This record gives sequence, C-alpha cells and structure tokens, in this order.
Amino acid sequence: MIHAVDLSVRLGGREVLHRVGLDMPRGEWLAIIGPNGAGKSTLLKTVLGVVGHHRGEVVIDGRPGRELKPRERARLLAYAPQTPALPPDMTVFDYALLGRTPYISYLGRESRRDREITGGVLARLGLGGFAARKVGELSGGERQRVVLARALAQQAPVLLLDEPTTALDLGHQQQVLELVDRLRTDDGLTVITTLHDLTLAGQYADTLLLLSGGRAVARGAPPEVLTGDLVGKHFDAHVMIEPGPGGRPVVHLVRGGT
Amino acid sequence: MLADQVTGTATGQDPVAVAKPARARPLWLAGALVVLAAAMIAGMLGGAAEISPWQVVVQVADWLPFVSADAGLAPVEQGLLYELRLPRVLLAAVVGGLLAMAGAGYQGVFRNPLADPYLLGAAAGAGLMTTVAVVLLPGSALTIPVAAFAGAVGGVLLAYVLGSTTGRSGGTATLVLAGVAVTSFLSAVQTFVQQLGVEELRRIYAWILGDVGGGWEQVRMVLPYAALAVMVLIVHGRMLDVLAVGDEEAEALGVRAARVRLVVLLAASLATASAVAVSGLIGFVGIVVPHVVRRLAGASYRSVLPLSLIGGAAFLVLADLIARTVIAPAELPIGVVTMFVGAPFFVAVLRMTRGTAT
Amino acid sequence: MRPVHKALAGALLGTLVMAACGQTGTTSGPAPTAPDRTATAQTGTATADAAFPVTVEAANGRITIEKKPERIVSLSASHTETLFAIGAGPQVVAADEQSNHPPEAPRTKLSGFKPNVEAIVAYKPDLVVVSDDIDQVVSGLAKLNVPVLLEPAATTFDEAYDEILDFGAATGNREKAEQVVADMKAELNQLAASAPKGRGLTYYHELDQTPYAVTSKTFIGQVYGLFGLENIADEAPGAAGGYPKLSAEFVAQADPDLIFLADVKCCGQNRDALAKRPGWKDLSAVRNDRVIELDDDIASRWGPRVVDLARTIGDAVAKAAAE
Repeated sequence: MIHAVDLSVRLGGREVLHRVGLDMPRGEWLAIIGPNGAGKSTLLKTVLGVVGHHRGEVVIDGRPGRELKPRERARLLAYAPQTPALPPDMTVFDYALLGRTPYISYLGRESRRDREITGGVLARLGLGGFAARKVGELSGGERQRVVLARALAQQAPVLLLDEPTTALDLGHQQQVLELVDRLRTDDGLTVITTLHDLTLAGQYADTLLLLSGGRAVARGAPPEVLTGDLVGKHFDAHVMIEPGPGGRPVVHLVRGGT
Repeated sequence: MLADQVTGTATGQDPVAVAKPARARPLWLAGALVVLAAAMIAGMLGGAAEISPWQVVVQVADWLPFVSADAGLAPVEQGLLYELRLPRVLLAAVVGGLLAMAGAGYQGVFRNPLADPYLLGAAAGAGLMTTVAVVLLPGSALTIPVAAFAGAVGGVLLAYVLGSTTGRSGGTATLVLAGVAVTSFLSAVQTFVQQLGVEELRRIYAWILGDVGGGWEQVRMVLPYAALAVMVLIVHGRMLDVLAVGDEEAEALGVRAARVRLVVLLAASLATASAVAVSGLIGFVGIVVPHVVRRLAGASYRSVLPLSLIGGAAFLVLADLIARTVIAPAELPIGVVTMFVGAPFFVAVLRMTRGTAT
Repeated sequence: MRPVHKALAGALLGTLVMAACGQTGTTSGPAPTAPDRTATAQTGTATADAAFPVTVEAANGRITIEKKPERIVSLSASHTETLFAIGAGPQVVAADEQSNHPPEAPRTKLSGFKPNVEAIVAYKPDLVVVSDDIDQVVSGLAKLNVPVLLEPAATTFDEAYDEILDFGAATGNREKAEQVVADMKAELNQLAASAPKGRGLTYYHELDQTPYAVTSKTFIGQVYGLFGLENIADEAPGAAGGYPKLSAEFVAQADPDLIFLADVKCCGQNRDALAKRPGWKDLSAVRNDRVIELDDDIASRWGPRVVDLARTIGDAVAKAAAE
C-alpha cells in the first residue's frame, strides 16, 4: 500500500534522515520507534510530503508521491500531528469538517455530503453530542478524538499519527489506541504511528521500525525488534524484556549494575 | 470504499441536523446592513453647514429620477450636499470597509488578532512617498494619491521580498519581522525628508491624521481597486479558516498555504493601499472592527470578512460624522476620532463577552 | 577725603548702580565710571553713540547689549525684514534660510526651525535674534556668552511696534526704528479710515488647502479687523485654537464675500484651484473673482511689510464695496 525507498532529509545542515525505507501492505500497523531526535516525526512528515526537500521515493497505492498534487495526496494520507493547532473558538463540527478540505474546490464550499460524512465520523467516535461545543472547552482525551475525527473525515486509506498518546493519561492512551485499531480493522486502514512508549508500540503494531540517528537500524515484528540488545544499545538504557499477552514483548526499565 | 462505512448513530442524534458549518448567518449580515444604512443616512443628515435634515431629505429626493422637489436651498447649498457631503459619506464607507476587511485578511494570514493592515509597511511607505511628494516635488505629476498608493504597495513588497521564506515553519514570523524593519526604516526616512521642509509639516500632519473629504474624484479613484480587492478577499473566507490550523496541517490537508497567503496578502494590501491613497493613514479601523465582529459573530472568516466590510464602513461613516460636527464649523481629523471612539468601544465589547471567551 | 578714596568711592558707587540696574545676559565688563550712561529702550533721545550699553526687554528677560552690534545673526525671516527696514542691514552678517526679503539679505543655510548653536557661533555673532526658543538655543548661546534677543511672533500691533523699537535700540538705530513705527501707524490708520465701513463684508483667510484658516484673534486677523471685515472662521469654538481646520461644507455655505489665499507660493492655490475643489465652484467669491492671492511670506510675518498686507486687503475691500 505504501512504500518508501531511500528517504534522506537534510535540515539545517544536518542529515536528519539517511536512506530510510519502509514497506507496508494495506491494513497493517507500523510503529516507528526510537530515541529523541532519531527522526521519527521527520520520517512521518517526509512520507506526508510536507518537508521541503527530500531525496528518495514515496509510492502510495502504486502512485509516486512526487507526481501527486497536494489535494490528491491529502485524499490518500490523513495526518494528525503531535501538537495539533486547535483554534479554541472553532466548533468541534467545523474542526472535523476541515478534514473534507481535499474534496472541496478552492473557491467552493462544503456540500451536504461533506456535512453528512463529518457528522457520521463524529458519531462513530462518540462525539456526536459535542458537535456544537468549542474545541477549546474539551478535555485532552476528547481533543485527541476530535483530531482523529478530522483525520477520518478525510476518508484516506493511510493514517499517519504522530505520538497520538501525548499528554494523555493511561486510560485515555489505551482508549485512543484501541479506537485506532478498531478503525483499522473495520475500514482496512493502513496505520503508521510514531510512539515513544515501546510496550504500547509492541502491543498494537504489526511491524516496528527502529530509527536511531536518522538511520533505520531494525525492522520487523515486535519480538524481533524489541530485544534487550537493540533497545539497550540505541536507547542507552537498562531494560528487561518479558513476553507479554499475545506473544508481544513488554519492555521494563530496570536499574543496571554498572 | 471507506466512504460508505461512515454511518453510526451512537448517540441517537441525527448528525446532519447538528451540522451547521460556519457561514455568515444571514441574520448578522442583514443586521449589519441595517446599521450601515442608518449610519449613511445619519451621515447625510448631519454636517457643519446649517441645513435642516428635512431639507436634506427633500433635496435627495429631488436627485432621484422622476422625482422633482424643491428644498429651498441656494445653489451653493445644493452643490455642497452633492459635491461635498454625499461623496464624503460614500468615501468614508468605502475606506472604512476596505481597512476593516484588509485588517481581517491580515489577521487570518498571520493567525494573530493583533495584526492590522499597516503591519507590513503600507502606512510607512505611503507616509514616506506622500512626504516626498509634498516636500520635494510639489506641483509635479506625483500627486498625493499616486504617491501614497505607490508607497503603500512598495512598502509591502519590500517587506515581502525581505521576509518571505520558502520553508514552512516560521514563514509568517519572518514576514512580520521584515514588516517591522521596513516600517522603522521608511518612517525614519520620512522623518528626515519631513524636516527638510518644515513649513509643510502642518499639511503632512493633516494627511497622516486622515481625511475623507476628497470629493467624487477620490471616490472614482478608489472604486475599481476596492471592487477587485473585496472580491478576492471575500471568496477566501474558507481558506483562511483552514489556515487557522497552521501551515503544516493545512498542507497536509492539500492546501498550498504559501500561495493562499500570498493571494490574501496581495488583496488586503491592495485594499489598504487604495484606502490610504485617498484618505491618509486612518488607524484603529483595521484592528478594532474585525475584532469586534469576531467577538459578536464568531471566528470563522466566512463571517468575519463580509461583516468587517460592512461594519468597517458603518464605523467610519459615523466617525466622520462626529469629526465634522462635534466642533463645527471646525473639524477634528478623523484619525483622532477613530482613536477616541474605537478604544472605549473595544473595551466595552471585551467586557461584554468576557464570560464566553476562552 | 583723600583723592584715592574719592576715586574708589566713585568706582564703588558706579558698580552698585550697575548692579541695581540688574544687567543680565552679558558678561560684566569693567564697570563704567559714569552711572548716567545706562539707559533703557523706553527712555531717551540720546545720540547713537551714547546709546550703548543698552538694555532691552525681550521675551528672554532684560538683555543688555554692551556696544553697537556689527555682526548680527538673524534666525527669523520676519526679524531680518525688520532689521533691514530700520537701517541695521549692514550690521547683519547672516540670516536664516527662510530670510528671502530683502533680496540683499545674507541668506545662509542656518535653520530657524532646528537651530544649531555651533553653526550660529561660527559666524562670530555679537547679537543673535530669534523668534522661537527651539532646542534650548537661547540658553545654549548664553553659555557661550553670545547675546540673544528672543522676540516671538507678535499677537497684537502694539507688540509688533515694540519689537521694532527693541531692535532699533539694540542695534543703535533707534531714530530710524521710531520713524518706521510712526510711518506704519500713520499708514495703517489712513488705510483703515479710508476703507468703506458698515458694509459687513465677510472674509475667509486660508493658510493651506486642508483647509486651515485663521480667526480674528490672531495677528493677521487683527489686520483684517482694521477694515471692519467679519471672519467666518470666528464661529469655530475656542477649542480649535486660532488656526482651526474648517469644514469645507461650512466655508461653502458661509459663502464669504472675500477669500484671501496665503497658500499660493507654497501650494499653488489660486482661484482656478478653488473652483476645482468639490462644492466650491459656486462660491460667490470664486464666481465674481474676489479671490485674492496674497504673498505667503508677507501674510506670515509681522514686520514692517504688514503694511503691504493691509494695503492689499484695503484694495480688495474697496473693489468689493464698489460693486
């Protein structure tokens, strides 16, 4: 479904990504993990096409990224940033409706169908009653769902989420990830997220991609990537890996000897 | 594909019934138009000349085709109503609408409610070129309107050339900084030129404080640019709403943010330049009116743009009425009135809507 | 008393008398031995030689000028005119850039609006005359022991006459100055007397095309007052000051009988320009050719040429009254 080769990005004189590739079939979940500054968000934005200059190719659903116009790209890739700018006075409905932008012509306005789709998405995420509320009045968990609603309103086959669990408490973290997983299976979405919580990444993703210093150092199923050696080396931390539910590893931080 | 999967009535509410996308509610538009009409009527009825309102009404009726009425006014009084007062009310409306709408446009582009139409150096450029025209080249073909227009456009272009970046992050920040730099520099040059011709200080000062008394000539001059700028700005309401989430997210939604910004800035700057060319540097309108509109009718630019146009027109017509009647037969410069009237009004609205603000 | 003691007593007495006269603004030179040499501007018909040192009452206090100034710097176009009219022309070494009358005045780049003390002192003046104390020029010059006379714009005829007499005393041309003042008074009286009265003619005097006007309380306004003319700008409330910005509408409706333009040289205003202004082409003054173009300079100065202004006004009134 989505396929990237040799992505390299230079920002501010520094090579932030070096020849990173990924390859995801439809309907699967890729989690990008790595230490701070490894280039996770940059990789997401490069795939999205909002980074100025990059070398390498991105192919989405068989179509080369460089040939796609912004609107066409936005119909294929839906994005939720790490810290979304939520205009406080905008209503939940209007904010979610922004997701329909790729389908509306420059000088045009939303159609009835656009409004129906948005309404449906809000209902599906349990936000139907919030439609008229102002975005600034919502709690953290509700806001995260609103941002997700906007991404879903784009009806794109690929969902790119940058740290969707930021600033959420434990319960809400789980809620959001369960929701994304359910949408993935219901709608056949391809999901690519960055996650800093390794255990959570291991629980939900089909494939993990470990980035370190702008390079892809490991790729595979969670048990292959979340090993004591790899994690310890690239995160410079002392960890203990345990098998968890569904055969997926659980990562514990422990105090080391040296 | 996925599209057909989106139904679901978890709460039992019909989502479409709840759906009310942002749009200038017809009620607000109608209300604003009523206020504007009232303001323009008041503007025609009042003035420094001692003509009773009833005489004005009769005289205006006489102007209408197929109607003939005698208001008993001397020819010079009839001329005064038609040549002085009527174009003045119209010019005030046009200039007020332009400045307010341009202010709203700038606020949308910079995502900052404190932006005003003079942010990128339009005022400084116009002030400098006007001073040059008055002090260094009096009596030349470089008349004040031409000089002011050229200066305003030049100032904005200079700021844009200096401050626009192709990178996405910080795009507007550097533009604002460039605007500040251009404004400071051009103002300094203006001050220098000004003191070369100190006898003209009074005239330059009077122009800076604003004047909408230019007559039909100025109305004719400003209308084509006004029409163009207004048309372009009005249709960008939705795009400005999308830009509210930031350049990066807007790009992710398929919008070419830099291009939209450029078009809106061009139109808003054209509006500002043409307003300044015919009426000087009237302040406060471009920042207060969109703000008030936003507080009353919501933050969507699909409402704010047209309502600012109408509200700005009404505001300036009333300000001009005050300017020419409060110390009649002398006049206050209109820029002074907008300052005095605008500030407390703004405070009142702030306090009124304090509870609902976030 | 012994002769030495007499001389000492005389010197002491002389010093005390000098001190009692309260000299300011000049360095105290050696005290003169004869007390009757001091004189004020108001007294005396002394000859020119006995006229110094002289004390003049100016806006910056009582200024004493020790001897006849031969290097005068004038920073006011109006004062330059006065100096030349009273015969002090040869004593003037530098005049400011606005001093365009008389043509032989030594015009320089000195600015009366932004006076530069160093530039002024470069001319080695023994007297500087100014009409405004901008940027502390008066105290600046005083620090350098240069005598300064601050004579601001006159607001009445008497003030204008006083200034001319002050300059006469200060420059050693007292007789000529008195003559000039007497001539001015005589001519103005004659012009006023021969003007047709009781016609109630109204006028509007324009400073620039904003339009800024003058009221009858200003100096210019009083010149018009000599002829019994009514100023339409007098209706402006006091808050607008003596120089109100008028509403164009108001001027149109007031339809003054006479329009005087003082923005001719600077801003190209004349009858045709007025006709082009919205709503003004029907003004009776415009239609009947009663728009009088004044010399911008004469209309803004308060020296002896105010008589020329009065003459122009008188002519216009006579012409209007004859119709």
